[in-house]
Order: sequence, then C-alpha cells, then structure tokens
Amino acid sequence: MAEKNNFVMIGIAILGLVTVAFGLADILVSVVGDGTGLSIIEIPGDMFRGGWGGLIVLFAGLFYLSGCKNVAEVHNASKVVIGSVLIWIMAGTDIFAMITESIPGGEEGPWFNSLSGFFGTYAPPYAPAIFLLPFSLVVVYYILKQERAR
Amino acid sequence: MKLNPDERWDLIDSIARHVVTYGEYRHTLKDAIGELTVKPMTGLPIAIAVMYCFWSVFGSFAGTLCTDGFFVKLFDGYWLPWLQEVFPGKGGWIYSILIDAGGMTNGEFILSDNCFEAFGVLTSGLFVAIGVVLPAIVIFYLMLTLLEDIGYMPRLAVLIDTVLHKIGLHGYAIVPTILSLGCNVPAVTATRILETRKQRFIMMTLLAIFIPCGAQLGIMEEVIPDLIGYVLLYLVIGYFIFGFILNRIVPGKSPEILIDVPQYQKPMMTNVRRKLWMRVSSFFKVAVPFVLLGCVVVNVLYLVGFIQWLGDLLAPVFVGWFGVPKETAGPLIAAFLRKDLAVAQLSVIEMTQYQMLSAVVLVSIYFPCVATFAMMLKEGWKELIGSVAVLTVVVFLYGGIIHLIGKLLGVA
Repeated sequence: MAEKNNFVMIGIAILGLVTVAFGLADILVSVVGDGTGLSIIEIPGDMFRGGWGGLIVLFAGLFYLSGCKNVAEVHNASKVVIGSVLIWIMAGTDIFAMITESIPGGEEGPWFNSLSGFFGTYAPPYAPAIFLLPFSLVVVYYILKQERAR
Repeated sequence: MKLNPDERWDLIDSIARHVVTYGEYRHTLKDAIGELTVKPMTGLPIAIAVMYCFWSVFGSFAGTLCTDGFFVKLFDGYWLPWLQEVFPGKGGWIYSILIDAGGMTNGEFILSDNCFEAFGVLTSGLFVAIGVVLPAIVIFYLMLTLLEDIGYMPRLAVLIDTVLHKIGLHGYAIVPTILSLGCNVPAVTATRILETRKQRFIMMTLLAIFIPCGAQLGIMEEVIPDLIGYVLLYLVIGYFIFGFILNRIVPGKSPEILIDVPQYQKPMMTNVRRKLWMRVSSFFKVAVPFVLLGCVVVNVLYLVGFIQWLGDLLAPVFVGWFGVPKETAGPLIAAFLRKDLAVAQLSVIEMTQYQMLSAVVLVSIYFPCVATFAMMLKEGWKELIGSVAVLTVVVFLYGGIIHLIGKLLGVA
C-alpha cells in the first residue's frame, strides 16, 4: 500500500512540475509577446490566453505539488482535484474555442465550413493544457476511486 | 390537548428519534473542495480561473461563433445591401433614419459598407440588438445562472468580502456587480440585498459609472478586441478608488454579514432554462426599444446639426481636457440612450488607439443609459441626484486622469 502511495505521489509530483513549467513558459512567451510553436505544442503569445491562461496553468501545477505528498488524505486529495479542475477549465475553453472556429465558413466563404476545413481546425499544434488533460483525468479518477472506497 | 413540560420534552425526543440520524461526521472530498474555494490562498486562483472561463466562453460563443461567424455576414452581406436597394428616397431624412445615414462626398450620397456605419434603425439598430447583443446576453446569463446554481456565487461572496468592505460594501455586493455586467437595470434592483442606504447608494453609483453592460461588452469585443482588457482595467481601478472615497464621505453604516454557504450541487436544467428565459426576455423588453429609439434620436440630432453644434461647443473640453476628438460628442449623447450604440459609433471615428481607449472609458463612465436612469429614479430621487453629482465629478476627474496618464506614457 505504502509503495503504491509513493508511486502515486511521484506521478502527481511529476505532473505538477510539468504543469508549472508549462505555466511559466506560457507567461514568459506572452510577456515577450510572440507566440511560439514546438511541433505539436503551441504556446499562445497574447496576454489573455498566454498571460492570464498561463497563470492558471501555473496555479494548477502548484495545486498538484502542494497536494501530492499524501494524496490519501482528503485535504491533499482536494488540492489535486482543484489542480485538475483548473486544467479542465483551460483545456475546455481551448477546445470550445476550436469548436466555435470550426463551424462558420469564414468572412468570404460559404455559411458553414467545408468538411476538410472543419476537421482542419482540430489539427495540432495544441496549447499545453490539452496535453495535460488526459493526465488530469487519470489523477481525478484515482482520487474518486479512493474516495468511494473510504 | 394540553401537554405538561415533561410530556412536551418526551414528544420532542420522540420526533428527534425519527428525524435525526446520529453517526460519526466524516469530512468528505466535496467538503474539502468547498473549503478550498473560500480560503483566500486557494480561492483566489480558482476565482481567477472561473473568470477566465467566463470571458473565454463569452468571447468564443458571442464573438467568434455568432456575431463574426454568422450575423456580420447576414447583416452586412445580405440585409443591408437589400434594404439599401429596395428602400426609396436615398439621401432623404426617412432613408437616413431608417436605413443608412451614409455620407456626402463631393455632393454625392455614399452608401455605408457595413451595419456599424449605416446607423439606420432597421440596419444598425437591428444588427446591434440581434447580431451583437442577443448572443452576448444569452451566453452571459447562461454562465451566470450555472455559477449560481452550482453554488459558486456565495463562495465568491465570502472570498471577496474583505476587499469589498474597504469600499463600504460586503461580499454579496458581488451579485449586483456581476449582474450589472449583463444589464445595469436588474442590477439596480439587486442592490436591495444590501442592508443600509449608504451601501445601496455606493453600489448603485459604482455600477452606474464603472460597470459596462453585456451589450456594451459585446460591442467592445467586436470593435476594439485588442483594447477591451485595458478598458476593463481602467474601470476596475476606478471602481475601487472611487468606492474607497465614497465610503469615506458618505455617512451611514456598513454592517457585516453572515452567509449560509450551500454545498456544491449539480444544476437543475429546468431552473437554468427558466432563469435564462426570464433574464434574457426582460433584458430584451428593456433594451431593444431603446436601441431602436436611440438610432432615431441620434440620427435626428445629426440631421438637424445639433451634434455638430454641441461638438463645436464642447471641443475645448473634449480635445483639451479628455484628449479625444470633438466628434466623440455625438457618441457621448447617444450613450445616454444606449451605450452599445455609442461604442459602435466611436469605432468609425478616426483616432489613435489611446484616444479610442479614453473615449470608450468615457462612454462607460458617462451617464448611465436612460433605462438605468429610470430604474435609479424608482429607487429614490435623492439617491439619483447624489449619484449624478458623483458621476459628473468622476467623469471630469477620471477622464482628465486618463488623459494625463496617456501624456505621461507618451501615447496621448
């Protein structure tokens, strides 16, 4: 049991560190003012998504790190859940923005987007929060399972 | 049947045995999450994220999908050209008021390209009401209703209580403040949840001056998306500075509150639907007539040369004190009828970015729209006169300060 807890703690700590790094990268890039892309990852350069959004990703990472030590304890578990909720907010709003962009056909185009244009909107690169999304879901699944067992 | 004290206690015990469950209290995950959202250290980051979500969804839905995606195309590409073609009397008064005020170049009447410039009742009026304001208001009230029904709003009230006490209010002042971002009219009514006259006066004055309504936000999102953050920053700073001053000079008490914070819960869709319908429909009953009436009145004032005359008269104040072109006199008059229309009008005046920023802030802090004005009058004429007096001072002071900041930064 103790070994399993250590394993979970290390997992969440790594997730927290990566999230903090992404958050800092978002903020730094938006301060410089020019968005940047690394193959499939895109870091937005505007103050809204990069600056404000980056701050939220940074907070998510800090929540993970502050709650990772003993995730079996309910107060630490809640911090980890909140960290995940912040990631969902970031990833959710990014995905929602993609959906709203994918439907209309553009200023000069037809009313609705073509099928290739529609799917093209969902192609990479993605913002960091979208890559963190599956991991945040796994973490919350583990915590909820633990809560039910309690 | 009469019971003696012992029999009464026996009856109480018997009822309690049936309705009270005894057991060990266990702190659940839900409780712990609830606590995190009200503690400042953890609650503030969550509040920042919730606000981000609010504005991101607002911008994506109202701006990207509805207005830019469909309504601009519908109104500018089909509705405006069709009306321009079929409506008789091009260049006449009726045509200018209903369809397109256009412009004269070398004695020739030039038609407008888009609904922001046309300024007719059936073109700009309908475009602003349906194409811009409707999606903005729907998504705004949907998000607000969800936050209320999930149980986040009381937590936000607790979280922000300390800050709002600095300006003589308490945590629940967040309700009229956020409602006001949708429409100032119901927000004025919502100030009744505050206990004292002093609190209600401060709240009403602050929301009439510093809080832009959803319609105005929708238009700002459309015409000055790059500047909207700075406009809101100026308004938030003004809200707290002038709130702090009002708290010092307005006599009266600002009592503490005790809030019962409910558990987080899944929102009931029937409740959400009802609330959304009630808010959106009442907003439209108030807003649409004023948008259309605003177009008529402003067009008539332009046509009779009143705006030109007023612009010339107020030019020293506008150019010298506020640092904006004298043409902004027109939008400022329109702002009394509808602030969203005024922002749309500003967007077609040639000026620098900082002048545009100053002008939009001025439109926001200038007189509340006539519907809000009427609602404030309903709350008490003394409060209304007091608010207008504060407002006049604030417009001149804050407008001048914004110009000064621009000058110091070398951008004005």
